[in-house]
Amino acid sequence: MTGDLLYESGVALAARIRRKEVSPVELTRACLARIERHDQTLRAFITVSAEAALAAAGEAERAVMAGQAKPLLGVPFAVKDQFDTAGLRTTMGSRLFADHVPTGDATVVARLKAAGAVLLGKLNLTEFALGGTLDFPFGQPRNPWDRERDPGGSSSGSGIAAAAALAAVTLGEDTGGSVRSPASYCGVVGLRPTARRVSRHGCFPLAWSMDTPGPITRTVEDTALLLSLIAGRDDRDALTATRPVDDYLAALRDGARGLRLGLVNELTHGADTDLEVRDAVVAAARVLEGLGATVEEVSLPLLPLAGAVFMALADSAGAGIHLTWLRERPGAYDAGTRRRLMTAALIPAALQQQAERARALIRDQVLGALRRVDLLVSPTSPRPAPPIAQGQAPVTSKDEAARRFFARRSYTTPYSLTGNPAISLPCGFSRAGLPIGLQLAGRPFGEAVVLRAAHAYEQATPWHEKRPPLL
Amino acid sequence: MADLTRDDVRALARSLGLALDGEDLGEVTHRLNAFFTALAPLGALPLEGVDPAPFSFEP
Repeated sequence: MTGDLLYESGVALAARIRRKEVSPVELTRACLARIERHDQTLRAFITVSAEAALAAAGEAERAVMAGQAKPLLGVPFAVKDQFDTAGLRTTMGSRLFADHVPTGDATVVARLKAAGAVLLGKLNLTEFALGGTLDFPFGQPRNPWDRERDPGGSSSGSGIAAAAALAAVTLGEDTGGSVRSPASYCGVVGLRPTARRVSRHGCFPLAWSMDTPGPITRTVEDTALLLSLIAGRDDRDALTATRPVDDYLAALRDGARGLRLGLVNELTHGADTDLEVRDAVVAAARVLEGLGATVEEVSLPLLPLAGAVFMALADSAGAGIHLTWLRERPGAYDAGTRRRLMTAALIPAALQQQAERARALIRDQVLGALRRVDLLVSPTSPRPAPPIAQGQAPVTSKDEAARRFFARRSYTTPYSLTGNPAISLPCGFSRAGLPIGLQLAGRPFGEAVVLRAAHAYEQATPWHEKRPPLL
Repeated sequence: MADLTRDDVRALARSLGLALDGEDLGEVTHRLNAFFTALAPLGALPLEGVDPAPFSFEP
């Protein structure tokens, strides 16, 4: 089985399996062989469940031969190691959970299995989905486009596995950009759905009001399919929305014609935005204009505060979850995680209340703009993937801490704070050959419009066809 | 507001039952002071009476 076939989309592979052109067992074996070949370097996986995957693929093969049809029957997938998997260890990327084996599946995992997908294993992440891990307990994840570069986080392994075709499709979890950032750095597609659209049951929490599972895939169509399978009410997550799930795949046919786009001035032209990134995003807006959308500039002046506001809220929530372990087993944490959580534990409640109110003002600005336009357009990240070593250097001043931790988070966290859906997809490459991510954000429960515009752009450009230079 | 010192931060941490010293103490001090500086502009925003609900739309 060739690498070309493994780079086909999940939708295309499912169709080949239905037509009996591809065997689920052979496809799973090919993915396992590719993981064996490349993952010693890339470190996308924490746990590969080869035996269980081959057994599930065998079952899928028998189902295909019996004429059964399911949306992802026989298609190999992998999930961030933040989601519970029955009988398969789930580490949260931490030594604290190195031997933790859940008894049940997270709802999103159960739903993909019910759709016929074959679980290959569990994907690497920054410890407890926080970001800023210095010493990864299960191996340093590396960007397939340049092994010395950061693959993004916290769903690092999901971005790598999608980009390097180690799995057909993957799932991540996005609290402050943890799906969109690895999608941007690794040159693939990542969607943060609307808050409460997708169940969090069986997903280890960071910040309850912002944690959102979402797909990371090589195509927008695959993301649309995965969302249609994982979205919807779940009685085990009382916050999930009861409203019906849209037909996201059908929406892809509608194109970009007639959409009103707002290019977010503070993020696109901000002082922190690399010029190559700015130019790629402006060019992407022009492509969408050529496809029949209209583009105007919008100003959202509070967005540069979003990174600090987000961290004051999300990190404080995380510190609450971890406080007992921080007291009793501080040495079991990675130093970067421990320092981030201990900092958050010391933020005064009065400041958190201010941040919560500022969040409401940021939401008013975003929702106000989305009454005038259908989508907000910006870079996903201010720069392409930075060197791994850059994030491992000691923090030696408060100014450096602010630059490192708040500035780049102001690009993705506005939609984490507001709960709006947002997608990242590739919109070009830097001169150094690194992917650049385009972010499109829509109205609450407006995933169909987000996906429709993203698909139109993807199909009009060549970026999704490029592959990282794996040996 | 003046920046917190390492001794201030160590005392705050101790009050929560957290042992903080060495490199951790220096970095947490920088990070915490960065928060105070970055969030200072919130004091100039019209936050009085703003409902701090995390969501504003119906599920």
